[in-house]
Amino acid sequence: MTKVVILDRDEEIQARVVGPTGAEHRRLANKVMEEALEQANLSFAEISYVIATGYGRINVSFADRQITELTCHARGVVSLFPTVRIAIDIGGQDAKGLKISNGKLIDFVMNDRCAAGTGRFLEVIAATLGLKLEELGEISLKSTNKVKISSTCTIFAQQEVISRISEGTPLEDIVAGVHDAIASRVVKMVRRLKIEPDVVFTGGVAKNVGVVYAIKENLGCEVLVPEEPLLSGAIGAAILGKELTLKALAKGETIQRKERHLEEVTFFS
Amino acid sequence: MTNEKKRKTINRLQTMYPLRALIDGMYQRSVEASKAGKPTAWCMVNWWEGDIILKAMGIDAVYPEDYGAVCAAFGAAPAYLDRSDSDGFPTHICGYARNCIGYTALMTDLGEIPPEAPMGGMPKPQLLLSSDGLCDARYKWFQALGRYLDAPVWTLEIPHPGVKESLIEGAYQHDINFIVEELREFVTFLERLLSKKMDWAKLDELIGNTIEMNRIWHEVNQLRKAKPCPMHSRDFWSSMPASLYIAADPKATANLYREMYDEVKGRIDNKVGALPIEEKYRLAFVELPPWHSLGFFNQLAERGWNFVYESWNYHPPKPIDLTKVSDPLERIARYTYQWLTGYYQGAFKAEEWWGYFAYPYLELVRDFKCDGVFLHPLLTCRTATNHLMLVQDRLMKKLKVPSLVVEGDIVDLKLFDPADALRKAETFEETMDYYKKVRKEEGFDW
Amino acid sequence: MAKEKGSQGLTRVREIYQDRSRRVEELKAEGKKVIGYLCIYPVLEMMTALDLVPYRILGDMREPITKADFCLPNIVCPFLRSCLDLGLKGKYDFLDGVVMAHICDVGEKTAHIWHTYLNPPYFHFIDTPHTVHKAAQKQHKELLKDFKKTLELFTGKELSPGRLKEAIKAHNQQRALVRELYDLRKPDPPLISGTETLQVMVALMSIPVDEGINLLRQVISEVKKGKDGPQKKTRLLIWGSIIDDIALIKMIEGLGANLVMDDTCVGSRAYFSDVELTDDPLDGLAYRYLVELKCPRTFREAVFGETKKDYMTDLESRFSYLKDYAKEWDAKGVILQSVRYCDSHGYEVPGVKDYLDHIGLPNIYLEHDYSEAALAPLRTRVQAFLEVIG
Repeated sequence: MTKVVILDRDEEIQARVVGPTGAEHRRLANKVMEEALEQANLSFAEISYVIATGYGRINVSFADRQITELTCHARGVVSLFPTVRIAIDIGGQDAKGLKISNGKLIDFVMNDRCAAGTGRFLEVIAATLGLKLEELGEISLKSTNKVKISSTCTIFAQQEVISRISEGTPLEDIVAGVHDAIASRVVKMVRRLKIEPDVVFTGGVAKNVGVVYAIKENLGCEVLVPEEPLLSGAIGAAILGKELTLKALAKGETIQRKERHLEEVTFFS
Repeated sequence: MTNEKKRKTINRLQTMYPLRALIDGMYQRSVEASKAGKPTAWCMVNWWEGDIILKAMGIDAVYPEDYGAVCAAFGAAPAYLDRSDSDGFPTHICGYARNCIGYTALMTDLGEIPPEAPMGGMPKPQLLLSSDGLCDARYKWFQALGRYLDAPVWTLEIPHPGVKESLIEGAYQHDINFIVEELREFVTFLERLLSKKMDWAKLDELIGNTIEMNRIWHEVNQLRKAKPCPMHSRDFWSSMPASLYIAADPKATANLYREMYDEVKGRIDNKVGALPIEEKYRLAFVELPPWHSLGFFNQLAERGWNFVYESWNYHPPKPIDLTKVSDPLERIARYTYQWLTGYYQGAFKAEEWWGYFAYPYLELVRDFKCDGVFLHPLLTCRTATNHLMLVQDRLMKKLKVPSLVVEGDIVDLKLFDPADALRKAETFEETMDYYKKVRKEEGFDW
Repeated sequence: MAKEKGSQGLTRVREIYQDRSRRVEELKAEGKKVIGYLCIYPVLEMMTALDLVPYRILGDMREPITKADFCLPNIVCPFLRSCLDLGLKGKYDFLDGVVMAHICDVGEKTAHIWHTYLNPPYFHFIDTPHTVHKAAQKQHKELLKDFKKTLELFTGKELSPGRLKEAIKAHNQQRALVRELYDLRKPDPPLISGTETLQVMVALMSIPVDEGINLLRQVISEVKKGKDGPQKKTRLLIWGSIIDDIALIKMIEGLGANLVMDDTCVGSRAYFSDVELTDDPLDGLAYRYLVELKCPRTFREAVFGETKKDYMTDLESRFSYLKDYAKEWDAKGVILQSVRYCDSHGYEVPGVKDYLDHIGLPNIYLEHDYSEAALAPLRTRVQAFLEVIG
């Protein structure tokens, strides 16, 4: 997913756009930016600073700066929940754990290599079960006897799910088991940071109530989820952009910016 | 309970059971000993280099490597593994190490043995005795436990010379001197740690009894050259810990091994094999067995597979005459060194340069007339896996004996798939049949 | 004395780095014998003293491992697998002999496997002890005497104490010059980048010691001129298992850092301790090559024969030199890295981290599998680390 957030000086959101990314990052970044500008009723020149973050950040040609999603998420989560100490983010391709102290990122763990602890895992399982991704959460909450998925690998877990179906195991128990599998895997990774409250859960997967429940169960404590779990990275990036701009203005320095140029990029020119 | 007579797939030795009972009592005895105030040492397997000395000093030894297998078998390992991971240890390290690190972390948190720990758990140690024998991880792991325990770490060293290098003039002597000097320091250290003096007479007696116990045990295993083989690997694995860990008084164990010798000899005299059916194939197993799934060998036995030799690293040393050596520490030094380098002369003659772990199988497979070798690579035990590929290659090149590779792990038991292994085994029978012919053509005598 | 190539200084360094074996193959053509060695435990002076050229065996991150799989499992150190793979592919056929030591489990196994399948004209394995106890030091000296015997047999020459002392002086001289070069990384910004420093190290390990000394003198005087040096960036120290290719260093430095100091073996570990010139030179060699070399493969306790262990005291005794490095080179953070499956460094990581946390030095642990592709996921982590300490 590609997300854009435009914030004003008071950190009020003027525009928010979320669009599926696909393979063509560069082209899409421009499109999504245009949509956001329309929403905010602004021209591109009126934007003070642009920060790109996340997997495709190097493909955002008009970004003034790139900052890792770890730092941006941390900043975003702190603005939404100032008491946060641990932030867990599960996206489509990766999962992150952030340790935050005094509003700053101090340590992190990441899984960007294995599908099993990410949104991808749920996509695969949903497809296997013939369900829509959005349905999974509610179904899992109906379970009273969740299944234990023993495989740590997506492919083998998929096979396990299939054999459970043929055994006649109730669907909600399988789905709950799958949620528990992804939650336990991510929590295990995040435990390396030494869990302290408050714990915040963000990312596309945080929209799944079943995973939220499973994360709480695995952590053994409460978990806070923002209203718009997909935006914490973009929000954080925008806030960091604002902070950089204001800091430079206060010092009387000129801010280093990229040439403002928003047009579709062709790959061979 | 069904009325059907339980089908016997392997003729287990009757004399194995009392040995097994002796070994099974090991953990409970340790826990009780610790409660009674006896000092406890967590030990790595040290091939008699340190264990005899500990026994002479009245220290109870507990073996975390073995405990790792216990936890795996009881399904208790995952919690400990997870704790090791979340405490920042890499996930690729030895499964037994991860298990022990997690267990120790938990024990330190709780201030006592974790309540769900299988077989009574491992009591808090006064000493961590590690060894550099065969595996570095073993001393790095005990060193890493310093995070949770204040017990000192002593690392016993065993020289691992190259085959050629071991035969350089003076090499044997300086290797032995090295071990002896270190053992002397070790004894001095123990005397300080426990505020008591070494009972040298007791030590001498224990050494003598241990050597004799192992000599008998070696003889028992030599009997397995017979056709049909009278004793299956399962009986070796069940009975071996009494020797390797000196699980009980070596004199008592020697008596049990003596009885086992008689039973096995009796079988040979009556032409009774370890399989109730025809012995179709003689196999050697390399290296560490899947402790949690030993029943798998029963399934193979039903196909006529008799396992006649296994696990070089668990076997006692080739017998060596130490009667003229008066210094007890020197006897220990030469004995343990013999365990590691006992095959080196043969390796040199055969121009094989990996003289322990790998070369011994070239002699053993020939002496025990094996039709095939079952190789068991383990995901997190590099030490017991490193030599397997070379063993496979050398056995084929020099003896025309094929190998079957079946993967597993020491703590992640899901990695061993018995159904898949059985399928592979079926195909492997054709391979073994084929190479029997090849060996015949090439003039081998089996 | 063989004629050296025309180019000098860092240009020459880059030449050698790109085509490592070229120089020794030229020397071979002139009749010199080249001995390959793995890791920093084989004693170089003993080879130099007999007019043999020691040549460090390294891997190749870019070469897919295809042949080593038949003799070493793939769940072991990828660097050693790569070395073995290159050997099996004939890339080290030019060596007249090979010396290996008991560096670590897989290193020891690699020695026997190399001996078995490549069987060079001369092969020697030094069973380096694992502790630094007095008895181990004595044993190490005895092992070096054995090494001396086989070297003498191979060369037909006597390894006299006089020759050995000369070689020790030469190698000590080279080490002193390396330290002089490293001093040029202390200013802010450093006068030479981590990337270039690594290239110098690799070059030194590919040519005879005297040529290395000359090359170092050229490099030092060139670097001192202060042209084309690095920009001011976050200063970092890098610790861990072998780095023999600039890819990782370049990636880190490209993200906004200067690697101003290292604790690795194609680096400071090979050059930051000298051999004491003892009456019997083997004493100094045995001591330095066992006790002074810093690598987690050696077991050290804080106090020999201690009956109780204090964790922080233990960590201090093992790692306080890192505090000194960080102070002297003004490092703001530490990158801990090791190849996947490296047990020696793997077990060490939590302890080093605990120590660095204790002294307040920010640190991050990166695990990689010795391939270029493995570096991509590390970019975000390194960048995030720089943002955290920035």
